[in-house]
Amino acid sequence: MTQRTRRLGLVVALAAGSPLLGAGRGHALPPGAPKIGMVCTPGAVTGTTHTFNLVTMAGHISTPDGNDVLMWSYANADPPDDGAFQFPGPVLCVTQGETVVVNLRNTLPEPSSIVFPGQEGVSSIGGSPGLLASEAAPNGTVAYTFAASSPGTYVYESGSNIAKQLEMGLHGALVVRPSLGANYAYDATTQFDPSREYLNLVSELDPDLHHAVETGATYDFTKLRNRYFTVNGRAFPDTIQDNGSALLPSQPYGALVRIQPNDAGTNPLPALIRMINAGALNHPYHPHGNHLRQIAQDGRLLRDPAGTSSASTERFGETIGSGQTQDYLLRWDDQDHWNPNGPPVQRLLPQPNYRSLVFKNGVTWYGGNPYLGYKGTLPTGTASLNVCGEWYFPWHSHALNEFTNFDEGFGGMATLLRVDPPGGCFTFPTSTRILVGTLNGGTVANLGLDDAKYYKVNSATTGNPRVTDWYGQFSGVPAGAANLAVTYEGNDSLGATPQTLFIWAWTANAWDQISFVPNVGTTDLTVTSATIASPASYIGRGANNGLVRVRVLTTHTGTASFVTSGDLMKLVYDAP
Amino acid sequence: MRVLAHPKTAARLALVASAAALALTCATAAAAPVSIALCATAGSITLPGGGNVPIWGFGVPATPGDCTTATASLPGPQLVVTAGDTVTIAVTNALPAGHTISFEIPGVSFVPGPTEAAVGNTVTRTFTASAGTYLYQSGGDAGRQQAMGLYGALIVRPSTAGQAYDTAASAYDVEAVLLLSQIDPNFNAAPDTFDMKSYLATYWLIDGKAFPETAPIAASAGQRVLLRYVNAGYDNTSMMLLGMHERVLARDARLLNNPFDANAETIPAGATEDAIATVPAGSPPSANGYALYNRQLHVSNGAASPGGMLTFITP
Repeated sequence: MTQRTRRLGLVVALAAGSPLLGAGRGHALPPGAPKIGMVCTPGAVTGTTHTFNLVTMAGHISTPDGNDVLMWSYANADPPDDGAFQFPGPVLCVTQGETVVVNLRNTLPEPSSIVFPGQEGVSSIGGSPGLLASEAAPNGTVAYTFAASSPGTYVYESGSNIAKQLEMGLHGALVVRPSLGANYAYDATTQFDPSREYLNLVSELDPDLHHAVETGATYDFTKLRNRYFTVNGRAFPDTIQDNGSALLPSQPYGALVRIQPNDAGTNPLPALIRMINAGALNHPYHPHGNHLRQIAQDGRLLRDPAGTSSASTERFGETIGSGQTQDYLLRWDDQDHWNPNGPPVQRLLPQPNYRSLVFKNGVTWYGGNPYLGYKGTLPTGTASLNVCGEWYFPWHSHALNEFTNFDEGFGGMATLLRVDPPGGCFTFPTSTRILVGTLNGGTVANLGLDDAKYYKVNSATTGNPRVTDWYGQFSGVPAGAANLAVTYEGNDSLGATPQTLFIWAWTANAWDQISFVPNVGTTDLTVTSATIASPASYIGRGANNGLVRVRVLTTHTGTASFVTSGDLMKLVYDAP
Repeated sequence: MRVLAHPKTAARLALVASAAALALTCATAAAAPVSIALCATAGSITLPGGGNVPIWGFGVPATPGDCTTATASLPGPQLVVTAGDTVTIAVTNALPAGHTISFEIPGVSFVPGPTEAAVGNTVTRTFTASAGTYLYQSGGDAGRQQAMGLYGALIVRPSTAGQAYDTAASAYDVEAVLLLSQIDPNFNAAPDTFDMKSYLATYWLIDGKAFPETAPIAASAGQRVLLRYVNAGYDNTSMMLLGMHERVLARDARLLNNPFDANAETIPAGATEDAIATVPAGSPPSANGYALYNRQLHVSNGAASPGGMLTFITP
């Protein structure tokens, strides 16, 4: 049990801002690498030659139950990694038509090599003949060259003493992008949203065999008993940490898959899921939440015999064989668009059984509300990891013994599909304050629904122009939220009424203008701001943590009093 | 229904020794009645690295029905017939006392009749052959007979020579039958009493051989190699092919509507697959050729590696 609790202690210390924070340096990611999604190691491109410098080396990974396991893996000798140990090996992304050169230096105590399954005509320079491929001796080198002729998802892995070196972890992903463009997986039928490209590389390991290597004891593969099951080198729940998380300094690749509902106008393209099984077991991978469309296996499109139309199939469970790769397109459809303000049949949607929703120790990803994009209340003592009512679905090995960390569930070969609301998270004001004018009627709740029920403010009864000036305050907006935008809908009892929207800048202690409309009138007008730059300035910290204020200033030249009626005020953001 | 007696056609049987396995070929110009006599009997094989293990296997009796003239092999003899043939297989049980055999060819529709034979008896099954790659086996003793080695490959050729099926896409230049199975010597030493919960295979075989004794597949650049996978083992087996793709044409002796290309294909336990790999030009990944191996890392003989399910296509 001491091992099991150690990691937990580290997390607490980090949260408290202890000096340990500096010790857990995250793996350096290439410039511009996303926090979520596949990360490519750049390599060096000269003309049409794409070169990578890899090093075989030993290092440790950590598991969610607090164990450390010795691995052998490939490291990137070039910046930004400079030979830092990582598991699995760097994701090598090249373009169809390039000549790929992989220089390998071997720091392991036995000869090692790389094979490139699915590539034809791999030639080698240097090294010495091995059983499956040319090998680099300990402290030696070997270079491999091949033409990246066919786009697809491939694995690269050791071809030496494989019953030991593959178990020890010598594998990585090779992605060949088509000459058609990096936003296609293969041909024109496989276009995807390049901001939603994901890799799920699955594997498994037996820590006792790794311990035998670490201690120089006898390595006997027939004694194999797998205890840890990983996606991108991490076991759940570590799989949902960001790329380059400081908590996992030698396991740089997260496996969280994030998507928004498909929309023909604003979000028409699917996500691409590249799957690789680098383990020695065949794994039944089971994505919850939607079918995935399998388009390829082993770097080859699934097509009809004439090669003219797709033979892709939709799957919610597929065994990925040892050494195989599979590619999937994923679009997530909100079939019914149910919402808590819809017709009565939708409003009656019950809460799920709370007992089914808790992950561990009273923690849940559920937001307390069954509708996408809305949060609600949860039982006392439950800690929700939910940001804004987004939904989470587990993707996992359905060999349920693999859904564990050392027999302890849930864990292991699993990640989450996170479905964000359309356009991102949205939230409504939780309070209002009138700066100039008086309350005419309605409540803050009326700003949460486009239903012709209004939050109404009387203008001042003196002065020229007459003025209403009030703000709605949002709460619970997470630090790090990006792409903030405000929607406001309302009317005024007089025509041609100029209206200015502002947002409160907490550190500058000032209102910043975000929109101006010269002529709001007696029918509802909807205004949506542009995406707000420097969003961090507008999200409160400390005592005002998570607060955002949006102000509506309405002026009307003359001495006629009027009423401002707000129907909807909505903040949209991309949660971190 | 046992209308076909062995002696009528026994003279037409020809024993052909191949690099891969003992092959029993019945070459017929047209659809014809074919009779095959087999024995299920005890024997032994030499394990890779030395040491004998007892097996139960199929063998062809020199004198049909007289199993003292048969030698058990692992796998059993490769049976080759032609599509349309009316095939009658008579299996005589010469296993140790108490082991009733049950003769099966998954995917084949037998003429109704007895399915089992007690020791000393013969079970005779008749069917009309349809092109493809099949597994034959004895399903007796709840799987223990398969684990002991009572399995083999049945190849049914179409009427067109040089093809696996009646489609041009199945044309090939070189044919290789890869019968996949495995052995736990501790089980073989005590097949009646062994606790199957502790079954742990430590020898992984292609056509009864482990690397380096596996037969290489000789094929030069441009040649089409027909790989007939027959998984007689208990494990869904993923075979990695380096340096080229194979086009998977058929599963379980039936053509796929949508053939697909693979380089790491899983052949389920009890299933067969037919794939065609065209040898590319240029040099192979190693001087040994294009490796074809068990990607689940069953490439050891006992604890000694390399070994196991590993062979090469050699240009």
